[in-house]
Amino acid sequence: MHLLEPVLLLQFLVSGLLAGALYALLACGLNLVFGVMRVINLAHAELMLAGAFLTYVLYAWAGIHPLLAFFLVLPALFGAGFYLQRLVVERVVGKGELQSLLLTYGLSIILINTGLLIFASDFKAIPELQGALIVGDIAISKPRTAAALLAIALTLGVYHFLKHARLGKAIRAVAEHPDVAMLCGIDVVRMRMFTFGLAAAMAGAAGVMLTMIYSFSPETGADFILKCFAIIIIGGMGNFIGALYGGLLLGVAEIFVAGFVSSQWAEAVAYVLLILILLIRPTGLKGAADVT
Amino acid sequence: MTEPLLTINKLDAAYGPVQVLFGVDMEVYRGEIVAIIGPNGAGKSTVIKAVVGLLKSRSGQIVFDGRDIIRLPAHAVPRLGIGYVPQGRIVFSHMTVTDNLEMGAFLIKDREQRRRSVDAVFAQFPRLHERRQQAAGSLSGGEQQMLAIGRAMMLDPQLIILDEPSLGLSPKYVEQIFEQLEELKAQGRTLLMVEQNAARALTLSDRGYVLELGRNRFHDTGRALLADKAVRELYLGGR
Ligand SMILES: Nc1ncnc2c1ncn2[C@@H]1O[C@H](COP(=O)(O)OP(=O)(O)OP(=O)(O)O)[C@@H](O)[C@H]1O
Ligand SMILES: [Mg+2]
Repeated sequence: MHLLEPVLLLQFLVSGLLAGALYALLACGLNLVFGVMRVINLAHAELMLAGAFLTYVLYAWAGIHPLLAFFLVLPALFGAGFYLQRLVVERVVGKGELQSLLLTYGLSIILINTGLLIFASDFKAIPELQGALIVGDIAISKPRTAAALLAIALTLGVYHFLKHARLGKAIRAVAEHPDVAMLCGIDVVRMRMFTFGLAAAMAGAAGVMLTMIYSFSPETGADFILKCFAIIIIGGMGNFIGALYGGLLLGVAEIFVAGFVSSQWAEAVAYVLLILILLIRPTGLKGAADVT
Repeated sequence: MTEPLLTINKLDAAYGPVQVLFGVDMEVYRGEIVAIIGPNGAGKSTVIKAVVGLLKSRSGQIVFDGRDIIRLPAHAVPRLGIGYVPQGRIVFSHMTVTDNLEMGAFLIKDREQRRRSVDAVFAQFPRLHERRQQAAGSLSGGEQQMLAIGRAMMLDPQLIILDEPSLGLSPKYVEQIFEQLEELKAQGRTLLMVEQNAARALTLSDRGYVLELGRNRFHDTGRALLADKAVRELYLGGR
């Protein structure tokens, strides 16, 4: 056994970060919605799959490359999220957890079954981007690298927006004190629509990336949403950047466990980390205080 | 005779099925300071929430600057020229002092113009200028209240509504807040405030309304209310 060779460790680390970037992108959107309106969106992973299937349709029917589909899927999911908030989700804001969980659970079932009706339960994949880059002694998968770089860029971009843009600050104001935000002239309903649109667009982007690296079916969301819950608790509930750290951490931890122990155990890593964090630092890595 | 800037006419308001205001009447003229006093639970904050649109369930008339605003959503109220300082010195605690003020000027799209507004408030509150890069959550209670007042002044409102500006502050800061209110009075601004420190509030005010159980109880000039035997006994500690 040569498991402790530095090259191998580096290979694990890189692969883990690449896998974690996708988790992070997905979990950040989920956490943003929670942070701003205290709604846990159980349909968040289905929004990702909506992005994935949209990418698939564009590829299969119009031959559009996934990386190009990105520019269509992002606005489409933003729009869908924007109006979903207005028509449906807004009704449960401030009504307590149970209502929002029931609503978004229903939403996820509707989306899954719509997906099954249209695409059946077969797995799809887009084998467009393939191969690996060899850097020194480690191999880096090309599609995973592309996906990870996009995911990180997008996540940091949204973070920067929340931190520094006038609209981003208004979103944080709505998250902390909606009443006072209103009396600053901020249309809080519109800000929440914008926020949900943004989160849906991030999920859609994760969907595009999903098509490049995994095969997926309308029921793939379940694995992801559970991991996302673990990630946002690990990173800090409602803290955007905490979910980035949490996602990367989970990606790395899974690869190491898969490498050193077994890939069955890798599936359990999220929950082991979750329990550890709850024992050591119940507010998560970044605390739960602020959206950013 | 000039029109009042704000007229509240037969205002009823409720939280769900529970009615808490019963035909409340009030007027505020330009350049006036008006205090609302009364015991806990009298409905003082509710009057304010109804005026600024935070309370949906209300009927009657609320006329501001010649326009009935009772159906207006809260986020449309600042544009009319009403600044609001909520009860409990509420600031956006994770944002810097400057960003908090910028939120008060959210309606100003032009960055330069926003900056001028921020500078004007800094000129009035040098203390906030010293702390401009600090997170608002790290300020002292008195500074946070100044920030909340500054934020309400960002759009240079015609009327500033304050809910318990001195509540929960140490005596030193209570003093400072009242000095600030004196200063606003000297500038000729129009203020409507709720204050548990009734004696100080009435001393500062041109007129005062006493609310009890959601109804108008007394209404007179600040000085007359201070001198009134019944008011003194009921609301000013009986001296
Ligand atoms: N959000 C709410 N939901 C239900 N009832 C409320 C709510 N807020 C206030 N009330 C009730 O309405 C009545 C008036 O409350 P309000 O806050 O206006 O009183 P107040 O005069 O401002 O009192 P205080 O001096 O304690 O601030 C009280 O009986 C209170 O219990
Ligand atoms: Mg009150």
